[in-house]
Formats: sequence, structure tokens, C-alpha cells
Amino acid sequence: MSNALARLSADHPALFWLLPLALLPLLTSAQRITPVAAIAAGPADGLSRALGWALRASGILAIAALILALAGPYRQGETLTRMGIGAQVSILIDRSGSMNETFAGRQPSGIEESKAAASRRLLAAFVGSRAHDQFAVTAFSTAPMLVVPMTDRHAAVRAAIAAIDRPGLDYTNIARGLAMGLSQFGPASPATSRALLLVSDGAAVIDPRVQDTLRAAFTRLHPNLYWLFLRTKGSPSISDRPSGEDTPQAAPERHLDLFFKSLRTPYRAFEAEGADAVADAIAQIERLERDPIPYTEQRPRRDLAGLAYGLSLFGLAILVGAKLCEADLRRTRPVPVVARATEKLANGKLPTGKSATDPAVPPRFAA
Amino acid sequence: MTEPADQPDIVYRPRGRLPGTRPGAHRGREAGGLGTFRDQVPFLRMPDARRMDVRATLRDPFEGTYVRRFEARTLVEVWALLDLSASMRFSGEADRMALAATFCTGLAASATRIGDPFGLIGCDAAVREDVFLPASRGRGRAAEVARRLAGTACTGTGAEGMAEAAHRLDGRPKIVFLISDFRWPEALITRVFASLSGYDLVPVVLGDAAESEGLPDWGLLELDDLEGAGRRVVFMRPSLRRRWIAREAERAETLRRVATRHGRPPFRLAGRFDPDAVSRHLLGT
Repeated sequence: MSNALARLSADHPALFWLLPLALLPLLTSAQRITPVAAIAAGPADGLSRALGWALRASGILAIAALILALAGPYRQGETLTRMGIGAQVSILIDRSGSMNETFAGRQPSGIEESKAAASRRLLAAFVGSRAHDQFAVTAFSTAPMLVVPMTDRHAAVRAAIAAIDRPGLDYTNIARGLAMGLSQFGPASPATSRALLLVSDGAAVIDPRVQDTLRAAFTRLHPNLYWLFLRTKGSPSISDRPSGEDTPQAAPERHLDLFFKSLRTPYRAFEAEGADAVADAIAQIERLERDPIPYTEQRPRRDLAGLAYGLSLFGLAILVGAKLCEADLRRTRPVPVVARATEKLANGKLPTGKSATDPAVPPRFAA
Repeated sequence: MTEPADQPDIVYRPRGRLPGTRPGAHRGREAGGLGTFRDQVPFLRMPDARRMDVRATLRDPFEGTYVRRFEARTLVEVWALLDLSASMRFSGEADRMALAATFCTGLAASATRIGDPFGLIGCDAAVREDVFLPASRGRGRAAEVARRLAGTACTGTGAEGMAEAAHRLDGRPKIVFLISDFRWPEALITRVFASLSGYDLVPVVLGDAAESEGLPDWGLLELDDLEGAGRRVVFMRPSLRRRWIAREAERAETLRRVATRHGRPPFRLAGRFDPDAVSRHLLGT
């Protein structure tokens, strides 16, 4: 509550010095004042007393709200940090030329969809499914490309993912892509769950010199690593040992897998040979990443002058209504002739023959 | 200055027979040589040979000598005790102070015309020395009263001076008109009436239709007490109006009860000054 009050501010705070003017209705009144000989003549009446206080309160409200409105009140915008369920997910997408092919290794034709299109479709659903996930999207081919930094604006992330089925570029340089994907994890609490989702259809040799740098980054950030391997039919699997010499050059997928396994971070590889298999893999990832995550919420600055004007209008409307209802004691309704005659009889026990049509205006005496 | 020549006089008659030897218009207690025949008394009781009643003397078998006695006409002082508290500034159907001034002037003119001295005491919380006129039967008294009252401001609160005003009057019988709206505490009303009960006391209540029958049925009124008792919003509606009028009637009844115990019932002066109505009231009570 005090925090909410502390965020209230005004454009012209100096006008608040006028606020004591709001007490004026306690001293005076907009109503026509009717002087009476004795106020005690009227019987005590609870409704009248309540109305009297209501009118005073309306006057105070009208003046105070007007001054507040003139001062231009607003509630400052703020950034709230809250806890939700989700994870920081850095998506690293392969944009090499082979991603444009189908799972069968051909150019897509007809109703066939390319690997990029399938992953786009499924990842887009993944992004929207949980409110407090944070995503970063990085694409890589020969060089890594920062697409969207870590954010909880899912629309932006979806737009970034929507762009990944653009025709791909050259080759697969997975080391630099991994480095940039890791750099997307911003500072966050240690409890935050981090996931690096690598979507690729192939692998490449990681230079042993770069391997140490990556290893250090993985140790520091400790992300869960998921490798969604979109395997083209007929191409070697992750676990396939090559028939010939077992070198990274001969079987880059297998050696990348071995490298990941050696990182001592939670690691899972999903080998998908079709759109359904990709969907299964993504669903599994979604199930695994369920940890509390702090997320921020932006609240914009809110102008409160309209509210103040509304309150003032409310008070003024009551006052105008009361003004329209007011009665005048002096413009009394004419006392019926019968009443006058009985009054005369009551006063004068000896009715005389004198006519009662005296001049109505009593004679006044000038000084 | 206009002399209310066209206005009828207020006719009043003091109660009982008045003491005093100064000649005037009212029946005196003293037996004198002039006036209305009163009775016959033995010569030894009133040895006035000029008024010997020959016929009665001759008729008496015991040969007593009788003298005629005549009722002396004497005068009576008329005093007006005028409330000058702030509540007298009220102006509804008629201006209350103007009405009171008219009444006092008419009373002064009526009194001095038949040779009675008229005195005026104005009171608010104390006796107002600037509105104090000792009893006098001079011809210009009514004009003097009118002039004094025309320039009088009613500012004081309370009417405690009324109780004090009784000390300004000597103890001889006189007619005292107590002119006020009687918006006083009941204790003060009783005290003032008790202090003046030795005189022929005529309370004159200044009323106004706007304070009772003329109240509106509906509407908001913001009442401001002229004597500084505060402000109050009143939401008029038929039920409240009925209660209000009943309360006013009750107040009038209380006043009538107190007044009747100490003198005559009050005369209600409302709207305009009608001397004939005052006369009828005075002769009838």
C-alpha cells in the first residue's frame, strides 16, 4: 500500500499547497442562506443533518478533486519482478542450406514441408504455451546471428521463429553458434532454470581450442542442453559409428554428441525423423523445464487527472442538484384568507364593524 | 417624518382603579371633586361642603349629612419593553424590526394623545441606553420613538436585559407592553414575566407566517441563526413541516400559559400592524 502511494506523483506538485482551500465548505456554503430568528425552532431531523454533511463533503470533494486534477496526478510506471513457472530458453537454430530440404532430403514440393518450416510450426506453439518463459533466438550458419535477445515478449519471439524458414545460407558453424546462444543467458538468479535448445540437421567439427571456451561457458551457466537433431533420412544417426575411421571429420554428429556428453551438464538429444517426432521432442522439453523463474512485468505510467476530474464532477453535480432543490423561506406561499380571519378572531375577542381592508404595507418611518 | 394621523389609536384600559392624583383619562382609585359619580359618604368622612348632596341629606331619616364623591380620572404610564436582540432582524413576510417600530410608534402616539406618558426601554443582553426613553407625555414622543428606533441596530445576542429592565420601572401601577419574538429560553421567559408581574403586562409576540404556516412543503433550506447559534441544512418535506408547525404551536401555547399566569395572554403581531386588533385584544382580556 505504501509502495502504491509512493508511486503517486504529480506534474505540478506546487498546486497541492492550495489543498487547504478544500476546507472552505466547512466555513461557508453555496446554498442561499436563510436567516432565521432561532435555529432551534426547527425540529431535530436526522435526514436533514445527514444531507447537510453530505453537501459539505461534496463541496470538499469538488474543490479537492479540482486542485488534484489541476496538479496533474499520475501513477508512475514501474517494473515488477514476480515469480512464475518457466525457464530461460535460448533457441539456437541452424540456418544452413540443408534446413530448407524436407526430412527426405529433397526440395519441398506440394504439401511437403521443409525441416525449417516444421520446426518453425512446432517451436511457435512451444513459445506461446507458457506465460512466463523467456526466450532468446539465435540463428547460425557460417556466422551466428542474434535474432531476439532474452525476452518474455512472446510475440517478438514468435515473429523471430516465423522468420527461420527463409532460405538458409551456407554451412554449419556450430561452435560460434553455441557461443552466442550461451551468451544470451543474462544475469538471473541461480535458481532459474536455463535451457539451450539446439535445432540443427547436421553437425560440424568444433575446433579443440574453441571447445575449452565452450566448456568453461557451460560450466559457468550450467544450462540444460537439448539437441533436436532433425535427421535426414539416410544420413548417419548420432549414435552411428562410422564404418571407417572414427574421427570428428568422418562423423561430426557422433563427436558433437560425445562433446555434449562430456560437458557435465544435463543433456538430452532428440533425434527426429519427421514432424511428429519433432513435436514429441518439444513436448518432452516442455515437460522437463518446469522451475520457478523470476520475471518482470512493466506497468505503464497512468494519468489520474481524469479520475480526479470525474470525482470533482460528481461533487459538483450533487451541489448543483442541491442548488436546484433549494427553497426560499421569504417567498412564502400566501396564507389562505380563512386562516387570516381566524387569526383575527383569535386575537380580537370583540369583533368590530370596522373593515379589515387596511393597507397591506405597514407604514414605515424614515429617519 | 410622517405622523400616523390616519391610523386609529390603540385603545387600552388599565386593570382596576389606579392610584394617583394627576388628572388623566383612566379611572382612578381616588375620589375627587370631578368626574363620574361614585358614591355618597357621610360628611364627616369627607368634609367637603361644596359637594354636599342635598337630596340625600334630606332623605336620610337619621338626619345625617352626605357628601357626593366623584371618581377621579387619572393617568397611567405606558411602557414598551422592546427586545433588540439580533433575532429581531428577521425578515419574512414582514420586517420584524419595522413591525415592532411601527407598533411602538403607534402606541406612543395613542398614549400621548390621551395624556398618558410613554416610555421605551430597549434591551438585548443588557438594557440599551441609546434606546431608553423615560416616560413623558410630550407631543413629540411618537416622533422621538420613531427616530430612535429607525437608527437602531439589533446586534446583541440574548435578551437577559429584559430581566434587568424591570428595575428601571418604579413600583407604581403601569401598563407594560413586552414586545419580542420570545425566542428565549423558557427559564428567561418565566423570570422576565415574574419580574414584571406587578404591572399590567401585555406580551406582544412578533410572529411571521414564514416561520410556521408559510413554510414550503419541499426543498432545501440552509438556515442561519441570527443570534449566532450556527447554520443548519434542513430538508423540508411535508412530515417535517407538520412537525415544525406543531412545535411552533407548542411554543406559542407554553408562552400563553406563562403569560396568562402573570398577566394577559399574548397578542400575536404578525404580518402587519393593525391597531384595531390590538384594541380588541386589550379590551377583551
